[in-house]
Amino acid sequence: MKPEGRLTPASGHSPDSLPARPPRTSAWLAFAAFGAVIAAQTFAILTSPADRDMGHLQKIMYVHVPAAWMTFLAFFVVLVFSVRYLWRRRENDDLIAAAAAEVGAMFNGLTLMLGMIWGRPAWGVWWVWDARLTSTLVLFLIFVGYLALRGFVDDAQQKARWSAAVGAIGAINVPIVYMSVTWWRTLHQPPSSPATLDPVYTMGLRVNAIAFLLVMIYFIRKRYEIARLERAVEHMAQAAALGGP
Amino acid sequence: MAASNQTFIIAAYAVTWVVLLGYLLRLVRKGRRARADYDRFAHEHGEENRE
Amino acid sequence: MAWRDDWRRVRAIARKDLTTELRAKAGFNSVAALGVTILVLLGLALGPDAQALRNAAVGAVWVATLFAGVLAFNRSFQVELESGALEPLLQYPGPRWTIFAGKLLGNLIFVTLMVAILVTAGVVLFGVRLTAGWPSLLGVLALGIVGLVVLGTFYASMASRSRAREVLLPLLLFPMLVPVLLAATTASKALLGGDLMHDAGAWIRLLIAYDLVFLIATFIAFEHVIEA
Repeated sequence: MKPEGRLTPASGHSPDSLPARPPRTSAWLAFAAFGAVIAAQTFAILTSPADRDMGHLQKIMYVHVPAAWMTFLAFFVVLVFSVRYLWRRRENDDLIAAAAAEVGAMFNGLTLMLGMIWGRPAWGVWWVWDARLTSTLVLFLIFVGYLALRGFVDDAQQKARWSAAVGAIGAINVPIVYMSVTWWRTLHQPPSSPATLDPVYTMGLRVNAIAFLLVMIYFIRKRYEIARLERAVEHMAQAAALGGP
Repeated sequence: MAASNQTFIIAAYAVTWVVLLGYLLRLVRKGRRARADYDRFAHEHGEENRE
Repeated sequence: MAWRDDWRRVRAIARKDLTTELRAKAGFNSVAALGVTILVLLGLALGPDAQALRNAAVGAVWVATLFAGVLAFNRSFQVELESGALEPLLQYPGPRWTIFAGKLLGNLIFVTLMVAILVTAGVVLFGVRLTAGWPSLLGVLALGIVGLVVLGTFYASMASRSRAREVLLPLLLFPMLVPVLLAATTASKALLGGDLMHDAGAWIRLLIAYDLVFLIATFIAFEHVIEA
């Protein structure tokens, strides 16, 4: 599960309660995760045959699709912890949501770039307003809005409450956006890419997805650790300013 | 088309690694700074340092 | 009866917002004028080919509505902000949702009037040929306005109290309105074209579902967001 403070959890926002020691993220996890990515990519590149239509261009799938999956997974984490925060008002839940949002935005940007790199040789243009690419772009803008909101609000409690509301409501919209963009496209043409994947490719895709998942878990934990450290420093600075702990 | 395809395949993997390693670097740097600030504050206010 | 009191509170807030806006007529007039200006700019940028403009008409009207609407939503909270009246309003006895409902009602009326002007200007400037199906168009417009106002009011309740409200409100709001934009424009274009494929019905159902979902969600979320 996602990390919590190892000691008694901080009650939240009062500066006079001693903040629990923020968690430490193992460097070994980073090595393992990135090692897994190298291994998975090597395996997939070496073992996958050329596609009938696309040739070896298909190999981009092993980075593009896992990045997309991580994007949606990150957004789901944002949703879960936003709702948890609204329900129980625990500061750590807000910090986890924010960490997942930043990591999700990163994977989202990567997904878009890879989509364009794949699309240029495949379709001849850098961008098409197809359902998946467009939805991913809109999702990216929702992430950016969430992070911008946090940037423009100073009070920690207000930031947490507003982010949680925006995160939850934004997440509700994700399937609606996807559905409406898909309808918008299919009115004039049937879906372009086949839904099923030839089984010879699925193993490579799965191991790459798992490797990316390890990377994402590491990133979220590390980002969360940083947020806890920074928040603890804020609390201690406030306590000091008010006249000592 | 195979040759130019190769360019894009390499570009895709290059971009992936640049982004992932770049973000990793950002987190590591931020983490060092945050941990240093925390340890300094904790030390100043009498808490025991982490081992 | 508690409901009667709540409803009275809702109407009071709406009336207060509307009278301050309409009395300071500069408010409504300038927002509507800005919307028309945007339409003119779009006409200049996308024209002068008559057919191109006709094709762009629906989209242009909606984009102008979105940008002008953002101004209206921020203003709906600005009055309280400037006079410091938000805290007393919160302490006044009564459930919080009535504040949201009152703001919603005020914004609904404001934006509906504004859209009426923009649609008229759009039909004229972009040379739209109205077909027999135009009453359904009003339905699509109404549903789109509801979606726009619900989310616009909700996000404005936060953005207007933040540091960069001019950029934060559209940044938060516009991605969320993508389904409304797609549904309203596609359905309108279909209806104007005679709706041969009966596409409009599906989009109208999407708009209804969207409006219901976010009406409920924002009312729930508003409680958490309105604390000072």
